[in-house]
Amino acid sequence: MDETVAEFIKRTILKIPMTEMMTILKAWDFLPENQLQTVNFRQRKESLVQDLVLLCENKRASLRDAALLDIIYTQFHRHQKVWDVFQMSKEPGEDVDLFDMEQFKSSFEKILRRALKNVTVSFRDAEENAVWIRIAWGTQYRKPNQYKPVFVVYYSQTPYAFTSFCHLKSNTPLLSQALTVASNHHKIVKMDLRSRYLDSLKAIVFKQYNQLETKFKSDFHGGILAERKEPLRCLIKFSSPHLLEALKSLAPAGIADAPLSPLLTCIPNKGMNYFKIRDK
Amino acid sequence: MEWANDKSKGGVLAHLERLETQMSRSCKNLEDPPRETAESDLGTKIRKLRCLRDKLRAEVKQRQARIKASTANAEPDQTLEISEQEAVGGKEENMKAILQAYRFTGINLFASGLSGKRTSRGVCVCISTAFEGNLLDSYFVDLVIQKPLRIHHHSVPVFIPLEEISAKYLQTNIQHFLFCLCEYLNAYAGRKYQADQLQRDFAAFLAGPLQRNSLCNLLSFTYKVEPQSRSFPFCARLLYKDLTTTLPTDVTITYQGTDASSTSWEEQRASHENLFFTKPLHQVFTSFARNGER
Repeated sequence: MDETVAEFIKRTILKIPMTEMMTILKAWDFLPENQLQTVNFRQRKESLVQDLVLLCENKRASLRDAALLDIIYTQFHRHQKVWDVFQMSKEPGEDVDLFDMEQFKSSFEKILRRALKNVTVSFRDAEENAVWIRIAWGTQYRKPNQYKPVFVVYYSQTPYAFTSFCHLKSNTPLLSQALTVASNHHKIVKMDLRSRYLDSLKAIVFKQYNQLETKFKSDFHGGILAERKEPLRCLIKFSSPHLLEALKSLAPAGIADAPLSPLLTCIPNKGMNYFKIRDK
Repeated sequence: MEWANDKSKGGVLAHLERLETQMSRSCKNLEDPPRETAESDLGTKIRKLRCLRDKLRAEVKQRQARIKASTANAEPDQTLEISEQEAVGGKEENMKAILQAYRFTGINLFASGLSGKRTSRGVCVCISTAFEGNLLDSYFVDLVIQKPLRIHHHSVPVFIPLEEISAKYLQTNIQHFLFCLCEYLNAYAGRKYQADQLQRDFAAFLAGPLQRNSLCNLLSFTYKVEPQSRSFPFCARLLYKDLTTTLPTDVTITYQGTDASSTSWEEQRASHENLFFTKPLHQVFTSFARNGER
C-alpha cells in the first residue's frame, strides 16, 4: 500500500470519535466483520488506529477505498462543513429527464479528467436517489491534495446541488460545468444560500417547510440605539440550532422592533440566507 | 314596470293614489259594481306581473345553461373558469363553486383521490395516490384565490414538473391543472411502488441493487428467472418516457450469458421484453417465480 494512502487512512481514522468507530467501519465495509472482531477496541486510540491501518495494509487498501472512508466520515459529520447551494436550469420544452446514475457519474468524472489530469473523483450512492461526490484537486504538475477535498451532494432529477466550501475557488467553474453537463442542465448559478445544515438547505430549496407570519413590537427607551446622530455600524451575528424559530419567538418576548426586516422573512421564500449589504 | 321607478310622478304611493282616483272616477261613471272591475284590473295586473317575473326567471336560467353548455363544448370534461371578477371579489361563491365542481364533475373524483378543504385564503387540495388498489402517499397543494391564482404551499416532490403544469393550466383551468397533477403523482407513485416491490420481494432474482432515479422513470437491473441458478443472464433497461404512465415506453433486454448462440435464450429474451411492456414490474417477477416453482 502506498505510503501516502496509509497516512491518509491513518489520519482519517484518527478523526473518528471512539463512539462512532465501529459504526463507521461497518458502513465502510472494507474490513470484514470477522477481522474487526480480532481488534481490541478498548485500547488507546493511537494503538487501535495502528492495528486498523495494519489490517488495511494487509488487505491492500487503495486510494479509492480511502476516499470512500473519507466520504462516510463526512456524511457522519456533515455539520463540520459549510454547504453552498447551486441552482441549475434547463432550456424550456426539453424532453423528459431520463436520469441514469451510472451515466451521470461517468460523464461527471470524464469532464473533470479532460480538464485536469490530477484529480481524484469518488462516488457513494445515498438515500433518496442522491449521490455524494468527493473531489480531490491537483494541478497539472502536482498530485491531488487529499486533505482539502470538495464534497457535492446531488439529488437526481432536481435542479439543486449542495457543495462543501472549497478553498481553491479556481476549480469552481470546472466543477459547475461538470455538474451541469452530467445532469443534463444548461445553466448553473450559485445561490445566496449557505449553511452547515444540509437538511435545512434541502428543506428550503425543495420547499418542504411550513412558514408562519409574525409581527413584532418593541419597547426601547434610551440605550445605545437611541438618539444617535450617526447610524450605528456593527456586525450582528445570529446563531442558533433553529434560528428562524428563535426569530419567530422574539415576538411574544417583545424584544424585536416591528415590522421584521424582509431580509429575515424572505429566507424561505427567496431561498437566500446570505446577504451582502453595502454602503450607499 | 316603469311605474315602480317613476320618481317624477311621486313613486308607488302617488301611483296608488292615482289608481284610487281613477277608480272613484270610474265608479261615478258606471252603475255596475265598479269594485269588481277594479279588482279584476288589479288581478290582471298581478297576473301580468307574475307572468313577466316567470319569463325573466326562465331567461336567466336559459342564459346560465347556455354559458355552461358553451364552456362544456370547449373541453370534453366540465370546466370551471375563474373569471377576473371572481378572482378579485366574490371569493366565497368561488370557493363553493370549486368545491361543488369537485363533487359533481363527470370524472369520478373519488376514484382519482381528490379532496378539497376551504382555507382562509383559498382552498387546500389533497391528492391521494394509489396503485392496484393499494393506497400510497398523499400530497397537498394549498391554493390562494388571488389574481393571479397562486400556490402558497405544496408537498409535491421537487422532481415532479409542478411549475410546468402550473404554467400551462393553473390560471385558465383549475380542474385540468389538478387532474394533470393527479396523473403525474399517481403515475410516479405507481412506478415507485413497482420498483420498491421488486427490491423488497424479488431481491433474490437480482444481481446487485436495482438502479433507479428520483422519478423512477429509468430502471436498470441484472436478473435471473430460475431461483436455483447461480448466474444472472439477463440485463434489463426500462425507460418510462411518459411520466403519466406506470408501464415502460422502452424496454431493452439483453442476454449476457455464455450460451449466446442458443435460440431458446433468444426466445426467452424476446418474451421477457414483451412481459415488461405489458405487466407491472413486480407481477412479471411473480410469474417468473411461479414458473420457477414448477
